[in-house]
Amino acid sequence: MRGMSRRSTTKGGRARGLLQGVAFFATLAVVWEGSVRIFDIRSYLLPPLSDVIKEVIASRALLWQHGIITFNEVVLGFIAAAISGVMMAALVFFVPIARRTVYPLLIGLQSIPKVGLAPLIIVWFGYGLNSKVIMSFLFAFFPIVISTLGGLAGTPEHLEEHFRALRASRWVTFWKLRVPSALPSFVDGCKVAMPLAVIGAVVGEFVGSNDGLGNLILLATGSSRSSLTFAALGAVTAMSLALFAVVAGFGRLVWWRAQS
Amino acid sequence: MVASAIVSATEFPQAREPVIELRSVSKTYGAADGVKALDGVSFDVHEQEFVSILGPSGCGKSTLLRAIAGLTAFDGEGLSVGGQPVVEPMDDVGVVFQSSNLLPWRTVEANLRLGAEIRRETPDPQRMTAMLEMIGLSGFENRYPHELSGGMRQRVAIGQALVRNPKVLLLDEPFGALDALTRDKLNFELLRIWQAEKKTVVLVTHSIPEAIFLSDRVVVMSDRPGRLLEDVRIELPRPRDPKSTRTSADFGKYVVRLGELMGVQ
Ligand SMILES: Nc1ncnc2c1ncn2[C@@H]1O[C@H](COP(=O)(O)OP(=O)(O)OP(=O)(O)O)[C@@H](O)[C@H]1O
Ligand SMILES: [Mg+2]
Repeated sequence: MRGMSRRSTTKGGRARGLLQGVAFFATLAVVWEGSVRIFDIRSYLLPPLSDVIKEVIASRALLWQHGIITFNEVVLGFIAAAISGVMMAALVFFVPIARRTVYPLLIGLQSIPKVGLAPLIIVWFGYGLNSKVIMSFLFAFFPIVISTLGGLAGTPEHLEEHFRALRASRWVTFWKLRVPSALPSFVDGCKVAMPLAVIGAVVGEFVGSNDGLGNLILLATGSSRSSLTFAALGAVTAMSLALFAVVAGFGRLVWWRAQS
Repeated sequence: MVASAIVSATEFPQAREPVIELRSVSKTYGAADGVKALDGVSFDVHEQEFVSILGPSGCGKSTLLRAIAGLTAFDGEGLSVGGQPVVEPMDDVGVVFQSSNLLPWRTVEANLRLGAEIRRETPDPQRMTAMLEMIGLSGFENRYPHELSGGMRQRVAIGQALVRNPKVLLLDEPFGALDALTRDKLNFELLRIWQAEKKTVVLVTHSIPEAIFLSDRVVVMSDRPGRLLEDVRIELPRPRDPKSTRTSADFGKYVVRLGELMGVQ
């Protein structure tokens, strides 16, 4: 179970794979640039790619400055979600009362559209960092709880019995059996949650903020600087991809699946 | 891992003190009207004896082994191991299940160490090395279970049970999922390990030749609910050898006898 996708293993195969990717995106870029010019699309609707690239270079300081702010919101929200998500999952799994009370409440709260909550969060926690961290947290929390819970519950029964036969205490069984066998599911949850954390922060910035990439997108669109809108969108996307890659990289440390 | 290793084997192990005593052990899963898996099973297993439990699928063999291992509650007059009534798993009992016991995130060596780790002991490095040697996996200590064959995995599971040096070894079809050829080979290795380690062994199986080849006694169970049909003493000379033992006339007689008991014609 070391990797889900089939990978080209030979050097030549890998080079060819890279080449195919590059060719594909180069074609997309040419189609974008070409169709904007040929059909004479007005740039406030869709700027040519070259303008977007120029904008990225010209406004790099601005993008960086706002990007750092969004990055901090996302990372703080995600880490908070990962830590409290695991604790919540453990609580619901091990405490029967929590399973009957906290868990249904959680499911209920999850059903509230979080985008609709955003204005309230801004009112409660202000225009600054806190409200965005909380938005990011809200988006990322639930998938982590659910997948970690699934991992804890999915500990193979025959291994549990094996630990009983070895007279392992509940504590030892938790650390040496349940935690490692739930880790892959936890990582899966983190992979789902990471892009959601970015969305949460940007939504928060849309609803009420003075800075951040979401704010920059709003300002740029409002002043018809569509190339800056695209540049900011590109920055958010790049950040989301990079953070996902970091999570996936950590995830590769837990390559096993307990159901061997 | 060569056949000549068996030459050093000692004489036929005589029945000694009873180590495992079952007195009319019954088990019903669920409520009183649930599935009756065991119905009044009584027998003894003596020190250093090799006893096989033979019976059709679903007759309660695994249930019986779980009861001896202290992993499941049961009814009846009593069940004791080493003179102690069984109420929970004991340190002196090692168990190998039908499905692999191995933790996929631990190497062979770390899996062997698990029992000691759980008891907060440092495993004796000499014993570890000797055990790897005995199960024929020297050089594989840093491999993960998914890098091993099914037979190698079960050998690690047996090693894991043995490394803690329990008096009693309970084996639930340890080679059940393997092909016949590998199974024969591993059975022979099991025999060698048993002779070297001087354990009391209870092996669950539904293979008649396997039970005869390995055992001092074969306990034959009926279809569900499992009752004891007959307790057959296997008086084949030891050391046993895959070729001469299996082809002897006595072996054939035991095959016929046990086959009749199990309703195979
Ligand atoms: N946890 C359980 N709950 C309810 N019924 C069970 C449970 N475990 C086993 N049984 C039932 O008890 C009976 C005996 O099961 P057991 O696993 O002991 O059989 P077995 O002889 O080991 O079979 P096999 O050779 O196929 O492994 C079966 O009919 C099974 O359906
Ligand atoms: Mg069974």
